[in-house]
Amino acid sequence: MSYILQTINLGKNIKGRNIISNLNIHVNKGEIYGFLGPNGAGKTSVMKMIMNYWKPTGGTIEVFGEKLTSTSYEVLRRIGSIIEFPVFYEHLSGESNLKLHCEYIGYDNQRGIENALDLLGLREASKKPVKQYSLGMKQRLGIARAVLTKPELLILDEPTNGLDPIGMKQMRDLFRMLKEELGVTIMISTHILSEIEDIADTVGIINHGQMIREISTKEISQMRSPYIEVEVLDVRKAMQTLGGFLSKDDYKIVGENMLRIYSESTTPQEISKALLLEGNEIISIGKKAEHLEDYFMHLMGEGEKND
Amino acid sequence: MIKMIKLEWKKNHIGKYVRNAFIMTGILLILLLSTIGEMKIEDSAELYNKGILCISVELFANMSYIVFASIMLASFIVSGYKNKTIYLMFSYPIKRQKILMAQMLSVWIFNVAALIITKLLAYGIFSFVSRFIDVDMRGINFSQFSFYFQIIISSIMMISICFIALLVGVKMKSSKATIVSSVILVCLTQGNIGSYTLVDNLAFNIILFILSIISVFLTIYNIDKVDI
Repeated sequence: MSYILQTINLGKNIKGRNIISNLNIHVNKGEIYGFLGPNGAGKTSVMKMIMNYWKPTGGTIEVFGEKLTSTSYEVLRRIGSIIEFPVFYEHLSGESNLKLHCEYIGYDNQRGIENALDLLGLREASKKPVKQYSLGMKQRLGIARAVLTKPELLILDEPTNGLDPIGMKQMRDLFRMLKEELGVTIMISTHILSEIEDIADTVGIINHGQMIREISTKEISQMRSPYIEVEVLDVRKAMQTLGGFLSKDDYKIVGENMLRIYSESTTPQEISKALLLEGNEIISIGKKAEHLEDYFMHLMGEGEKND
Repeated sequence: MIKMIKLEWKKNHIGKYVRNAFIMTGILLILLLSTIGEMKIEDSAELYNKGILCISVELFANMSYIVFASIMLASFIVSGYKNKTIYLMFSYPIKRQKILMAQMLSVWIFNVAALIITKLLAYGIFSFVSRFIDVDMRGINFSQFSFYFQIIISSIMMISICFIALLVGVKMKSSKATIVSSVILVCLTQGNIGSYTLVDNLAFNIILFILSIISVFLTIYNIDKVDI
């Protein structure tokens, strides 16, 4: 299968320290790829290498089917990006910054600039110098610039930093629209799962410079097994009660007063009835499914163990 | 390349530098005019083979514009490493060498032109003043081609040495280092110890010019292979 972006055993060594090792990323055309990892995991370093800012010390990067070399300039015309945080010529207006960007790319479209400003809700502030913009406005202007010249691939490093929840939602809607209507492939790095959980098609989980797992969100949702979560006053007593009609593998303690029951043959009603009959005091009970967050935490834990 | 040079001027607010160059030139001319009475013909040392006025104009104009050009280089190029605009520039489908060359040329062209204009303006004003008071006009001859040629060549050489300061600034990623280096270069090239100076030492100026070209080469050499 051909990928729009892939890394093969990518490595980066700085001053004798491997900050990225044997990293394999596979991004399909037209998908949103969530690049997930805690702070310091190596997400920005990888993105810097994809953008050719940093040169790999091992492995290769392939973009649009071609191996990225130190002189791969033309490929940059097809990529929009924000790495770390968007930078601007602060004394120039937002609109002037976008015009400059178009001139450097060789993209002549005044209407496109206006559309991008409208899309990101920056039309009113477009004549103001960027130094007067808030952090959120700069972030939105950065995204406007990244999408302005209609790139085929977007590399966005924590693009919702500094945005309020409404702004974050707008961005998610925008990314979805770019993917669905314009067929843009988007790679988004984040350390906050909820940002990409709903929009990503594939999630690559990175920690300590290594790929922990690359998995499609479809697979994750299939893996999520529903369970019943019960909060009780006395967890030991509740365990004894459940032990009477459930096998040991069907339940486990997950907190001081919290139990999870994984048996598919029981319902919350049956569990509460059984617990109450034995004199257990229930604080709450409900049916839940494993969140991507739990999966992420689980994988992170595995990664730590392997280290 | 011309388009890129124009873009450099546009994004760096060249109007601000034009204004500052005007102010600096104005101050320079006022200072020279105010001391014209003090410039005695006998002050001119024999080894210069020029009048004291010519030496003063060359000295102060060169000193001012070497520092001015270095400030511009620091602002146009070196500060880009600090405020990360270099990331933005290197995200464009343009060779990194070409980007840096455009940035260097935008500063070089501006300052060479400004320095030539400043010198011609100063000589023009002093030529006018010489009608009324006794001024040492040796070395200033508007009717000779060599007079203009010498101004152009010396301006090119002087502004070019700023690239040595730029190399230091880029390697240290420091605007301050660029400007301090230019001040050191000013002291080295324009200063004198007793009656000894390197200003008119042709061999020294040629060596310095060659070093400037090497500095340009070292600034852009391998730029597409290094991490930024």
